[in-house]
Amino acid sequence: MTLLLTTVAVHAESAKAVAAAAPRMDPLHHFQVVNYIKISPFGLDLSISNSVIWMWISVAAVFFFFWYAFRRPELVPGRLQSVAEAGYLFIRGIVDENIGSGGKPYFPMVFTLFFFVLFCNWTGLIPGSFTATSQLIVTATLALGIFFLSIFLGFYKHGLKFLGFFVPSGLPVLLLPLMVPIEIISFLARPVSLSVRLFANMTAGHTVLGVLFFFAATLPWVGSWLPFGFSVVFTAVEIFIGFIQAYIFTILTCVYINDSLHLHH
Amino acid sequence: MISSAYAATAGPAPSSGLPQFDSSVFASQMFWTVVSFLILMYLLRRYVMPAINDILDSRGKKISEDLQHAEKARHEAERLLAGYREQVERARQMTATTLEEARIEASAIRDHALEELTEELAKKRTAALEEIERARVNAMAEVREAAVEIAMLATEKLIAESVGRAKADEMVHAALGHLEQNKANLH
Repeated sequence: MTLLLTTVAVHAESAKAVAAAAPRMDPLHHFQVVNYIKISPFGLDLSISNSVIWMWISVAAVFFFFWYAFRRPELVPGRLQSVAEAGYLFIRGIVDENIGSGGKPYFPMVFTLFFFVLFCNWTGLIPGSFTATSQLIVTATLALGIFFLSIFLGFYKHGLKFLGFFVPSGLPVLLLPLMVPIEIISFLARPVSLSVRLFANMTAGHTVLGVLFFFAATLPWVGSWLPFGFSVVFTAVEIFIGFIQAYIFTILTCVYINDSLHLHH
Repeated sequence: MISSAYAATAGPAPSSGLPQFDSSVFASQMFWTVVSFLILMYLLRRYVMPAINDILDSRGKKISEDLQHAEKARHEAERLLAGYREQVERARQMTATTLEEARIEASAIRDHALEELTEELAKKRTAALEEIERARVNAMAEVREAAVEIAMLATEKLIAESVGRAKADEMVHAALGHLEQNKANLH
């Protein structure tokens, strides 16, 4: 009896050891922020983490791309200059289309925002890198910035009339107690949806890639080509999603600024 | 993103939930997001956007200048074309005028020549008629003289002195009168 128990215990022990040695799938591991250099002046945590490093790499990439493309601007553009100009005109088109008159002062902000998000999305696809836009706090910071900017602009341009934004025109007065709270909630939901959309897209895509890579690395060769092939396709999809999400983020930013500037609902 | 080797390594047990909800890293990331964004915005505004704006503006200016040039050239061409059209039209009119004048002149010359010819022919005819008349008169006179002489000779021979000069003249006149009467038959 004792012998039997001992045997079972030994079996359980060895099973545990085998389980510990086996590769363990952890597709969320690469979202882990690691602080490389701890900086905390006045009790504020300003540490440099992998997220921050890749944010800087993205910033540098955007700047050097445009700087290099326009180091010697030609009237008849070369290839790189054409691409950079296309990017510039693309954002200008978005601003003109969504903000229209009076949109010019916001162009640098929108331009920076698009390329910041785009390059954060794209540099995240480099193996071993970190996706800053997969961090909810990063996207939320951007979204809150836009949110507060739109509130500030609304009150700055229209004063208290900006509150009329929450009162839909042409509604019977009886419906107003219902509609005004809905309008306010939908307004408050803007930064949430803006930040969560980007963060969730990035997280989901990279999680799927992580799972695919895990299978590609651990399955025997007979099975590993399938997840590997999928991962190749999915990387292409991720490049596309990275663009689309940056585009949506930018468009919505323009729409919110436009709402604050022009108030038509 | 994760590399395949990285994904497969056995790490520490994961904390519950997504790492993104770990609030201990929020402050530093918020701060650096804002700072990175503002730095990028500054760099782009300072170094990139002026270059792009410059090049786009100068290109726009170049295009509008080219368009203006083209418009000017088109006007110039139109003006030249109108000038040439006018010249051609003028030349055509001149040709027509010249032709018409030539026709008129030719017809005048022809009429003139015809007139002259007619006149000359008429003159020649008159002259010829006069010549004929004169020849006839001469012939008549000669014939008369010859007849007188013949008559005189004949009379002298026939009657010798019996008929005087006066009588003979009379007789010849009578004969000539007879001759005159039958003048029509003489021709």
